[in-house]
Amino acid sequence: MSGVAIVLRKELLEIFRDRRTLVAIALATLATPLVLFVISQVSTRSATATYTIGYSGQIPTGLDTLFAATGMRLEQVDDPAAAAKQQVDIGLEFTDSNVQEFYDPTRQSAQIADVRVQEVVRRYDAAKIAATLQQKGIDPSVLNPLPLIKHPLSSPVRAAGNSFLSFFLPYILITMSLTGGLSAALDTSAGERERKTLESLLLTPVPRGQVLVGKILAVSAISLVAALVAIVSMLVALSQISFGVQAGSNFKVGLTPLAATVMVWLAVLLAGSFSSLTIALGTLARNFRQGQAYATPLYFITIFPASIVLFIPDFNPNLAYYLIPILNAVLVLRDAIIHNTVAWGALAVTSLSLILTGGVCFFAALRLFTREALLVRS
Amino acid sequence: MTQVAVKIDRLAKQLGPNKVLRGISLEAHAGEIFGLLGPNGAGKTTTLRIISTLLAPDAGSVEVLGFDTRVAPQEVRRRVGVVTAEIGVYPRLSAQENIGYFGALSGLDDGKLQARVNAVIQRLDMGDFARQRAESLSSGQKQKVAIARAIVHDPPVLMFDEPTSNLDVLASREIREFMVESRARGKCVIFSTHVLHDAERLCDRVTIIHQGRVVASGSTAEVRGPYQDLEGSFLALVEAPAR
Repeated sequence: MSGVAIVLRKELLEIFRDRRTLVAIALATLATPLVLFVISQVSTRSATATYTIGYSGQIPTGLDTLFAATGMRLEQVDDPAAAAKQQVDIGLEFTDSNVQEFYDPTRQSAQIADVRVQEVVRRYDAAKIAATLQQKGIDPSVLNPLPLIKHPLSSPVRAAGNSFLSFFLPYILITMSLTGGLSAALDTSAGERERKTLESLLLTPVPRGQVLVGKILAVSAISLVAALVAIVSMLVALSQISFGVQAGSNFKVGLTPLAATVMVWLAVLLAGSFSSLTIALGTLARNFRQGQAYATPLYFITIFPASIVLFIPDFNPNLAYYLIPILNAVLVLRDAIIHNTVAWGALAVTSLSLILTGGVCFFAALRLFTREALLVRS
Repeated sequence: MTQVAVKIDRLAKQLGPNKVLRGISLEAHAGEIFGLLGPNGAGKTTTLRIISTLLAPDAGSVEVLGFDTRVAPQEVRRRVGVVTAEIGVYPRLSAQENIGYFGALSGLDDGKLQARVNAVIQRLDMGDFARQRAESLSSGQKQKVAIARAIVHDPPVLMFDEPTSNLDVLASREIREFMVESRARGKCVIFSTHVLHDAERLCDRVTIIHQGRVVASGSTAEVRGPYQDLEGSFLALVEAPAR
């Protein structure tokens, strides 16, 4: 058996006996469905909840029926503006000529109530106008001379689901590729120095490069497993949970085979790069805790690229942007999820970029692992 | 004359700003316990690390059984077993797995590995705790694991770097007995220590290093000279330059 295989086997054995790593993976596996379940419950409750309108004045005939049918409860108040601050979700003041609406946009319940009130009032207006025109013998369609009929090329419900996935999936993939193997990476590098096994290991005839490759492969494997387990658990949870987008409709989200394939390929590249990087940082550290301090800034790397997709959904950069590690993975994955297509040029550039990044990290780790100071520092 | 197992010739090494070794020369033979003595910071550990190829010499040469440490480091490592001063073990592996890991890394194939591990466990009387995780072992038991992993590939040269410094009386005695037994088996045993009493009892020949230089070398009796014990000789030697 080669030196690489011997080290790999031993490291995997130690990793699977390490509670820290197993707990991290278990938490990630359980946390994602739990968070999604909470989101589902909150969104469903928001969509189906009854909201209270505090009103004053005389409600036009029929409007109260429409409000009741839309999940709005009416409550008479003296001052709708004051009531809308806390007592009720939205305040309406009916005058002879119009309706004054009062709501606090910082409250989510007020926002939803505002949307419902606008819809109800619009329908009421349309019905009143149509009735008036019919009384005068005029076809109500005269008010809509050029009807617009929409034909969405994909399901808006599906689009909403893909948009949701395009943020969460890259975020979880990148985060778990880093954190899933972080403990193992620091344990096998800084930990080796801290528990004073490093010197004995380096005394063996196996070249240090082979020892390092074995360690990187073990950490990559656990990172990959952590990322894939977290994503599979998320997809399973999504397939079981319905999200209420708006009253009366819901959606479920999933991943196409193409997107899943792209995701696994990117996960492999990310796991390799992060493993080399975290082992290099751990090799620099004197102990596990110092290694954690060195690795902390890496967490930000996982957040920023996914945030770009969240805040700029239509961010479509030129090919040069795909040279930027991590961001490129986020963009490729987003395209695969939302459009179910892969721009092969972008994927090639992304793969090249991530392989080069992994290579640079590996050579940095190798350089650190083979220098004399590795031992003398301890 | 017995075979020269380790030959050091005008070895020099600088670590950072410190000139740790300033041209030391010595020879250790098969079938003897060779004492490498000196106060803390004298350069003993650095010498052992250069012999075992962990560090490269700045000047001079080191040969182990005819293999130059710079030219054939892997051949040297195959022939050397080192019990380091720090007895770190892999806590989540059993004592047996710790030994097996180092045996595999030392080139023992699967066929021989288990037999060698079992033999070493038996030789060091480790049967009671061989399957226990190393994290649950006592210091003495961990020291045995450290010795076992160093000798699992049956190297002709054994080096002990301050092996008894963290051990109780009983565990220290076992280490000493093991060194004597290894000498009887024809091994070259290099014993690095600042505990001169141990060295005097065990070593056939000794070299005293002080401030990176050899200040005395020869049989234990020769180095002791007119003094009552090695300590007297040692103090006279290391204090002489200051006078």
